[in-house]
Amino acid sequence: MFLARIDGTVVSAAKHATLEGCRFLVAQRLEADGSTGTEPLVVIDWMGAALNSTVLVSTDGDISRQRFGNTTPGRLVVVGIVDPMQTAGGAA
Amino acid sequence: MRLGIVRGSVTLSPAVPELLGLTLVVLEPVTMANLRAKNGLGGGKSMIAVDALGAAKGQMVAFTEGSEAANPFWPKRVPIDAYCTLIVDTVTTSSQTIAK
Repeated sequence: MFLARIDGTVVSAAKHATLEGCRFLVAQRLEADGSTGTEPLVVIDWMGAALNSTVLVSTDGDISRQRFGNTTPGRLVVVGIVDPMQTAGGAA
Repeated sequence: MRLGIVRGSVTLSPAVPELLGLTLVVLEPVTMANLRAKNGLGGGKSMIAVDALGAAKGQMVAFTEGSEAANPFWPKRVPIDAYCTLIVDTVTTSSQTIAK
């Protein structure tokens, strides 16, 4: 799991059938020193993460398999939103 | 999932039976700087992924990496570790600059 900042959204018409209706967000991985990764990540979100919020992303596909079935290729899922009170003063 | 641009395809002959009939595409992963610049460039190390969506050359896709890439073929076991999960129509990013 890692922390990431939500940076944008992805709109897609053609996608794997199990992920129909999912919300896809662009996230940037956060490092301990507050810097971000160089490559954007597309994460699945059903928690309702807002733009610029800090979220916890799990790289385990089990939670998407539970939700979308055994044949889903979904892997990166937002499993929580970091309390804004905590991120406001910190590096993240 | 990371984002990548389709740069071409790969045909295998021979291949292990599990890969027969699959479409393999060459992907160039997109970096945050290039995504923001919307310059059509990738910038990452190119890689091969399975594509079942019919992504065309130049299109941007999001691809799953790791063992989850083989999930769509469940319960069949296939030796793949990258799978094109969605074709990107539009992507928006906030105008913030990348913190170094």
